[in-house]
Amino acid sequence: MPDRTLDVVEVAAKSIAISDPGDRNKEEHLWGDRLVIGVGNIVAWIFPILMVAIVIQVIIRKFGHNQAWLDDAQWWMYGFAMLTAFGYAITTESHVRVDILHQNFSKKKKARIEVFGLGWLLLPFLGIMMDVMMHYGWASWVAGEGSDSANGLHMLYLLKLSLPVLFFLGIVAAWSAMVRHVARFTEVRFWKLIIAAFPFAVFAAERIFYYASWWFVRLTNSEIQDRRISREPLLEASTYYGFGLLVVIFVVSFIIARNKNNNKEAA
Amino acid sequence: MEILSLIGTVLNMNQFLVLMLFLTFIFMLFRGIPVAFALVGVGLLFGILGEFVLDPNAKAISQYIDFDRTRITYKKLFAISGRFFGGVIKNPVLVALPMFIFMGLMLDQSGVAQKMMKAMQALFGSLRGGLALSVMLIGIILAASTGVIGASVVLLGVMGIPTMMNQNYNKEIATGTIAASGTLGILIPPSIMLVIMSDQLAISLGDLFMGALFPGLILGGLYIVFIILYGIINPKAMPLPENREPVSMKVIMDVAVSVIPPLLLILLVLGSIFFGLATPTEASGLGAMGATLLALASRNLNFKVFKDVMRQTLNTSGYIVGIFIAASFFAFILRRYGGDEIIENLVTGASDNPYVVIGFILFIIFCLGFLLDWIEITLIIMPLMLPVVLALDLPVEGYGVVDNPSVVWFAILVAVTLQTSFLTPPVGFALFYLKGVCPPEITLGHIYRGIIPFVLVQLLGLGIVFYFPELSTWLPAIAYGN
Repeated sequence: MPDRTLDVVEVAAKSIAISDPGDRNKEEHLWGDRLVIGVGNIVAWIFPILMVAIVIQVIIRKFGHNQAWLDDAQWWMYGFAMLTAFGYAITTESHVRVDILHQNFSKKKKARIEVFGLGWLLLPFLGIMMDVMMHYGWASWVAGEGSDSANGLHMLYLLKLSLPVLFFLGIVAAWSAMVRHVARFTEVRFWKLIIAAFPFAVFAAERIFYYASWWFVRLTNSEIQDRRISREPLLEASTYYGFGLLVVIFVVSFIIARNKNNNKEAA
Repeated sequence: MEILSLIGTVLNMNQFLVLMLFLTFIFMLFRGIPVAFALVGVGLLFGILGEFVLDPNAKAISQYIDFDRTRITYKKLFAISGRFFGGVIKNPVLVALPMFIFMGLMLDQSGVAQKMMKAMQALFGSLRGGLALSVMLIGIILAASTGVIGASVVLLGVMGIPTMMNQNYNKEIATGTIAASGTLGILIPPSIMLVIMSDQLAISLGDLFMGALFPGLILGGLYIVFIILYGIINPKAMPLPENREPVSMKVIMDVAVSVIPPLLLILLVLGSIFFGLATPTEASGLGAMGATLLALASRNLNFKVFKDVMRQTLNTSGYIVGIFIAASFFAFILRRYGGDEIIENLVTGASDNPYVVIGFILFIIFCLGFLLDWIEITLIIMPLMLPVVLALDLPVEGYGVVDNPSVVWFAILVAVTLQTSFLTPPVGFALFYLKGVCPPEITLGHIYRGIIPFVLVQLLGLGIVFYFPELSTWLPAIAYGN
């Protein structure tokens, strides 16, 4: 019996082998997916560094030195890594789901559900979060926000300014994952992607128009005060102009796609 | 408009909308949309509904039905930035989360479980039910050192199933044992579930760790008693091996040697908290370092494994933090609709007896456990229940040391209840993980039947903690007494 046990244990040791989550569906990945995975692979190094930082802190505290900046550094590292992890898990499709019915759906149906979840639900939220965190980080930068403790890590605005960037990484992850899933049931065309992520597209068009016209007014009208700019008629109606912009983009991309298809058929 | 008046005879508009909000969420869940996406999606949908449809027409609506404005505007959404930063990013307690995940993954790679299995098999092999007991004991020891249940169920399954099948164990008892012992990890500290719970319920993580220790060990003890009794009543289910070896001194020494490394790790993490040498967050870093050293010592750790461990840590952290972010947005919108008060009134209105109210909450959580995982339940339901539990003001002994002893007790009760969420079909994570590593002759049916007695044992354990609240407050009081 001991011999047999040995076999089983050896089998066990092999099958517990850990894998790289970034390699899942690697052959389908687009450049956006690879970007997110690449950033994730670098950011993952934060965890061992965090571990060492904690151990060092425990040891030096035993010798009576308390380093406030090390306290701050811990949650800085943790916070940065966690938000990167959010985007990373979108690319690796690890977000938890109830798959009692889902597992029996056809491949196409699964892809449609995924596109709806990413384009209609998640992407608009990420867009809003990026916009909101951008203002939050900017306010911190203007105020030159520092640490709570005197010898902590100052330049807190650096961390806060990194948050909208990480939400943008999440947008890249969600957009690429969505394109991958659209490709499973139809040919990928830009106008189809606009439909696949319609609420996000509306929001993004409005924001782009809003910020573009904000700077346009600011640069062309030297007398106006910053906080008055948003009351300009151009910006008050940014929802409609933004939607118009989206319709124009949609029509143009639709025509380009049709011409492409016609050329293909002709050839 | 007639429809509105009709609804108005039963519910007011806010109650109706909150009901719709949850129904929409549940519908999306069943379509297989990831939980985090569904949460933000429902939040957005009802946010837009509130801002652009309901609020502008609030006057017209309130002619037919009671309606409180939601007062959601895009400007108001900017409040979530501070909430997000303070709740998810600037949260020193949650730093323990990735560290414990890292520790668990690293420990799986260190091979200590395999060594324990090998040694214990020789010791208990000649005992009836000895294999099941070995698996259970390893489960309890690993539970103290890993927080991610998937990993320990897979590990125990891969090791335990083939050996148990070789000895002609009954399939039900084999799979039940593994599923139950593998899921102890979320209850016995250090566990990532307790980390999240302490954050959501605003109680000390140290109290929670110390408080969960006895209930966790009691549950493990109950499992062991159950297996021994089962072996006596139904000897055919756990036959003895054919060629038994006599237990020698060497066999006992082997077991001792194999158990020492994981016990040292437990001592490092829990001991440093108990004796006040480190905060739970610092203990998580020490534990991660300890597990890395164990993996190094076993020579299983190479550069590739190390990289994979940290990438898996990133991935696991990612889906947990995803629900964190999504649930806080969902809660924001829910509060705008007055949902927190509606649910609070619903729960407190269940009975005048505070213990019945607690029982009612646990029953709801038990039922949700059939559908949802502990992450969602902890992050969505717990914050809603906190004011209820605080308002009940239960007389739980805190020995003058534990802050909010009734909340600590409640958290432990919920933790024991959530144990079951892993094991209850149709959506029990442990069961799917286990199915993945079972040979094809073991069906999901065997697994479902196998876990029933263990779920009943869990409910018995829940009853014990319910009747003796001191079990969960005595140890933290001792640890933090001086």
